[in-house]
Amino acid sequence: MIAAVLAAMVALQASNGTLTAIRGVRVGHHALDERPTGCTVILVDGGAVAGVAQRGAAPGTRETDLLRGSTQSEVRSTKSDASIDGVDRIDAVMLSGGSAYGLDAATGVMRWLDEHRSGRTASAGVPIVASAVLIDLWVGGKPRIRPGGDCGYRAAAAATHARVREGTIGAGAGATVGKLSGRDHAMKGGIGSAAIVLPNGLQVAAIVAVNPLGDVIDPQTGRVIAGVRTAGGSLADARKLLRAGATMAPAPAGGNTTIGVVATNARLTKADANRVAQMADSGYARAITPIHTPADGDTIFSLATGRWIGEADAATIGALAADVIAQAIVRAVTTATSAAGIPAARDLKR
Amino acid sequence: MLALVLVATQRGAESPLAMNDRGAESPAPHSGVARAFQARDQNTTLTAVEGLKVGHHTLAERPTGCTVILVDGDATGGVAQMGGAPGTRETDLLHPLNMVDKVNAIVLSGGSAFGLDAASGAVRWLDEHNIGWPTASGRVPIVPAAILFDLGVGGNSRVRPTADCGYKAAAAASITPVEEGSIGAGAGATVGKLGGQAEHDGYPAGSRKPMKAGVGSSSIALSNGLVVAALVAVNAVGDIVDPATGKIVAGVLNPDGTFADARKILRTGQTIRRPRPAENTTIGVVATNARLTKDQANRMALMANDGCARAIVPSHTLGDGDTIFALATGRWSGDVDVTTIGALAAEAMADAIVRAATRATSVAGITAARDLKK
Repeated sequence: MIAAVLAAMVALQASNGTLTAIRGVRVGHHALDERPTGCTVILVDGGAVAGVAQRGAAPGTRETDLLRGSTQSEVRSTKSDASIDGVDRIDAVMLSGGSAYGLDAATGVMRWLDEHRSGRTASAGVPIVASAVLIDLWVGGKPRIRPGGDCGYRAAAAATHARVREGTIGAGAGATVGKLSGRDHAMKGGIGSAAIVLPNGLQVAAIVAVNPLGDVIDPQTGRVIAGVRTAGGSLADARKLLRAGATMAPAPAGGNTTIGVVATNARLTKADANRVAQMADSGYARAITPIHTPADGDTIFSLATGRWIGEADAATIGALAADVIAQAIVRAVTTATSAAGIPAARDLKR
Repeated sequence: MLALVLVATQRGAESPLAMNDRGAESPAPHSGVARAFQARDQNTTLTAVEGLKVGHHTLAERPTGCTVILVDGDATGGVAQMGGAPGTRETDLLHPLNMVDKVNAIVLSGGSAFGLDAASGAVRWLDEHNIGWPTASGRVPIVPAAILFDLGVGGNSRVRPTADCGYKAAAAASITPVEEGSIGAGAGATVGKLGGQAEHDGYPAGSRKPMKAGVGSSSIALSNGLVVAALVAVNAVGDIVDPATGKIVAGVLNPDGTFADARKILRTGQTIRRPRPAENTTIGVVATNARLTKDQANRMALMANDGCARAIVPSHTLGDGDTIFALATGRWSGDVDVTTIGALAAEAMADAIVRAATRATSVAGITAARDLKK
C-alpha cells in the first residue's frame, strides 16, 4: 500500500516535465528588484555524484576542480546509503547572474545548508556547492546591482520540489541571446527546464540559464527561435550572418555565457558523471549557434542521485542529457518575457 | 587577373556539388598556374585552403585506408578530443602549454591503434623531402594522427593501414578537390550502430543494421578572403543528422530499410546494444588560411567539435574517440576573429559530416545513403 502510494507520488513528480521530476532535487529562484538579475539554486537532498563540462572560453566558476577526474574532494557521506557507491557527492549547484560577483551567491547557499543540515546534506562538515555565473551586468542599466550571498540564501530557502518556474526569472532574469551584431540586436533569454522519463523509470532532466552570444535554434527543425534581430525586427539567423562575414568582429565580450545542470536518478560514478556532462554539452551545440566562443563561459554540471537502481550506461544517459539540455534551452527562450526593453521570442511578429 | 575572371565565370556556372564531382574525377593535379587557381576556387573541400594537400590511400585487401593532410610549409596546430575512446599520436604536443606550435601533416587512418603506424609513413615521406621542425640535428616532421576503428568491416581484420599506406597517401597528396566517400580513412567507416547486433558482416535477418559512411569535406569562403574548411572521416556510434532540417541522412536501419532514429531508440529505454569502445570514432581536420596562435587553433578545434554534436546524434559517447585537429596556415593576413572562424569551422564540419554520409558508396554489404530506396 505504501509502495503504491510512493509509486503514485513518483509518477506525479515524473509528470512535472522539469528538473524537479528527479526525486530529491529542489529548485529555488531569487530575482532582484533593482535590475533584471538573480540566481537559481539546485539542492539535492542527500547529495549527488557530480561532474562538470566547461567548454566556453570565458568561464566564472567555483568548486569545479573538485568535480573533475579522480580528485578526492573532502566530501564524505554522513549517512551510509547502500544504493550508492562511496564516491564524492555535492549538495547543491548555484547558477547566478552578475558575472564573477555572482559567485558570492553560493556563499549564501552554504550558509543556508549549514543552518539546515538535519541529515539532508551529503557532507559531514562543509556543504559543497558548485557554481557558475553568467554575465548580465549590462542589462537594465545598473551594473553594480548583482546577486550576493543574500540572493543565494533566499533562493535556497525558496527551493521546492514543485515544477520549475521558467523564463525571465532567477539566473535567467537578465539573460539575453543573439548578440553577434551587438547588444542592440539582442533578444531576451531566460531559464528553461525539461525532463525525459523512460518507461523503465530512468529520468534525465535539465535546467539551463541561456545567455549565449549566439542564436537559439530548435534542433528538430533547424530553425532559429530567438537571436539576432534585423532592423525590421525579424530574425537575421546567425548562421547566415557568419557565412556572409556580416557579424560584429570581434564579437561583443562581457555579456554572455550559458550555464546549466543536467540531473538523473541513475547511479553514476564520478567519471561517468563527467562523461554525461560532456555529452550534455552537445545539447548546447545543437540548440545554440555559435556556442563555446571566446566570449562565452559555457559550463554544465551533472548530478546523479542514484535513487533509481535500473541498468543504464553513461552513453545512453549522456545522449538523453544532450537531448534534454537542448529542450531546456528552447524552453528558456519560448517562456522568456521581455525585460529592460529587450524583446522575447513571444513578442516577435508572426 | 585572367585566372580571377575565369574563376568568376566557373563559379556562376555550376553548383558546388557538380564542381566537386568533376574535381574528384580530374586526374592531373598540376598543369599550370591558371588551372591550379581555377581548381582552388571551384574547390569546396579542404584543399580550398591554400597550402594544403590531401592524399588518400585505400587498401585493396579490405575496405580500410588512410588520409594524409600535408601542409606546404607548416601550419599552427590545435586539437580537441571529445570522445571516450581515442587513438592518437602527437596530440600532447598541440597543448597550448607545450613548445612546438607548427605541424607539417595530419594523418587520419582506419585500422584502430594499428593505424597509428600510417603516421610513420608520412613522417618518412616528409623526412625524404626535408620538411619538419628545425633542430640542431636536422628537421623532425611533426605529424599528429588519429585513428578510427574499422577492423570488423569486410573481411580479414588483420589487414590494416601501415606505414606504407601513410607513405603512399602522402605521395599521392594534391591540391585538387578532395575525393569523398568510401575512400582513405573512410573506406571502412560506418554509422548508426545503436540498433543492431552488428557483428562483422553477418547480420541476423530482422536485426537493425548500421550504414556506410566515409570521408566528407566542405569549405566556406568569405568575400574578405577568409577560408575555413573541414575534412572528416565519419565512423560514429550515432546517426548522421542534417542540422539544417533535423532529418536523418544515415543511421540505424530497420529491417524494412527505414531509419530507426537513434533519438527515438534512446527514448524507449529498451536495452540497446551498447556502443563498444573499439568500433567507432569520428576523426577530422578543420583548417583556415587565417593566422592563429596555438591557443586560438585549439579554440577553433573545440568549436569545430560542435559541428560533430550537431550532425551526429548521439556524439562523443564512451564508444567514440572523436578527435578534431585544427590547422591555420596564416597565408591570409586579415583580422583574426576566432568567434567567426570557430563558428564557421563548426558549420563546415557539420557540412562535411553530412557529405561523408551522402557521398559514401555501399561496401561489404553495408548500405550507403545513396543506395536507400526512396
